[in-house]
Amino acid sequence: MHTNAAGSDVFDNLRLELRRGCLVVAVLAQPYAEHYGYALRKALEEQGLAIDENTLYPLLRRLESQGLLVSQWREEEKRNKRFYRLSPLGEEVLPNLLAEWRQMSVALERILGDRAVSSAPKSRTQSKENEQPCP
Amino acid sequence: MSVTKTDLVDRYLYAVKFWLPTAQQEDILAELREDLLSHMEEREAALGHALDDDDIAGILRKRGSPAEVASGYLPERRLINPAVLPVYWLVLKIVLLWVLAPLFALVFLGPVLASAHPWETVLLCCNEYWRAAFMTVGMVTIGFVLLDRYQVQFQHAGRWDPRKLPRVPGSEDTGARWKHLTALVFSVVAAILWAHLLWQGAEFPFRGGMRLRLGPLWEPFYWPILGLAVADAFFDLLSFLRPGWARVRSRVRIGGNICWLAIAGVLLSAGGGGVAVGNLPAAELARTTAWFNFMIVNTVLGLAVVVIIDLINEARYLVRGARTTAAPIPSAMQH
Repeated sequence: MHTNAAGSDVFDNLRLELRRGCLVVAVLAQPYAEHYGYALRKALEEQGLAIDENTLYPLLRRLESQGLLVSQWREEEKRNKRFYRLSPLGEEVLPNLLAEWRQMSVALERILGDRAVSSAPKSRTQSKENEQPCP
Repeated sequence: MSVTKTDLVDRYLYAVKFWLPTAQQEDILAELREDLLSHMEEREAALGHALDDDDIAGILRKRGSPAEVASGYLPERRLINPAVLPVYWLVLKIVLLWVLAPLFALVFLGPVLASAHPWETVLLCCNEYWRAAFMTVGMVTIGFVLLDRYQVQFQHAGRWDPRKLPRVPGSEDTGARWKHLTALVFSVVAAILWAHLLWQGAEFPFRGGMRLRLGPLWEPFYWPILGLAVADAFFDLLSFLRPGWARVRSRVRIGGNICWLAIAGVLLSAGGGGVAVGNLPAAELARTTAWFNFMIVNTVLGLAVVVIIDLINEARYLVRGARTTAAPIPSAMQH
């Protein structure tokens, strides 16, 4: 139905917005250890946060251009791979970002109260990727 | 690694490369290649055999079209700053609907009325309007793109004062709105009549071959009068639609009224500037000229009186508004 389709579009857009900030936190929090792109994606996926390659790589570049990550090409398993780790600026920013995230999370939980428990999500149009909630 | 695998990946990456920024192409492609090959190796390990063409094509298709993949790496581009988008739409609306459309109506009214095939003239007018509209949209858009490119700060972006915002129209504005509507009708009719008169060579034809003509004195004022009438119509319309923008309206009207008075002063000092021409005895032409100039002088005088009254009203409004604005804010309201 038209209304359902519109509702689904609205939900997808809101979900994208919601995920955008969460992914930045997750990607920054992960490279405490050094990772290359593919390994980072797998690590996030194993922890319940699937991320599309077309989202991850541009995001890594953006964070690097902002000075939060540093990268280095290195050979591993006979192939050149680009390894990312947190920069000194990233190490400085990340705790603040996490504190902000926790504060928002606590506030949101408080606002939602019992509603979060009682109102289970109804069936939604599932897109092909990234269905996990924020970390 | 099979030839097919590298061939398909190479072709895919080559297609992605086309869309990427030149400076980063090699770096991005190397990372993409590494990711694709890692993905394929993992898939091969899971299946227990080498991937065939269909498997590889499926992986690449799932990754997205080359343009889609490249789009993630492109810097975010915008033609116009979203913050000034409302201003952009407002300017476009004003230029297209309230400036260009009335201007075309005025310019083409004479030809449409005089033409033996009015519908053809109307079609010609529409055609010209669309051409002009496309050009206008392009020019306005380029203007805003340049403003954005060179980071021109709009007044609303930073320096604005809540006390200078237009007041909310109240019930007392209802009467004023009808006043503006009446003035709008008057201005539009005046502009149309003036344009029609210009189209006829600034002459009033009469039976018997006699014509009343606006003399050479009027020639420098032909277009300024039309421009002032159109501007009046525009600001009357603006006042009707946005009664809260009273201060802008007052300033513009004061400027316009001063221009009207300057023109009236010149015409009155020259005694009207009209002349009667035609195949009539000289004495009768002279008598008609005198009568015509008498009518012109009286009409201009009457209009000048109306303009002076309007000028005083608008000036009083501005002074009153300035006093209100200058008044200190009560301390209770500052918190």
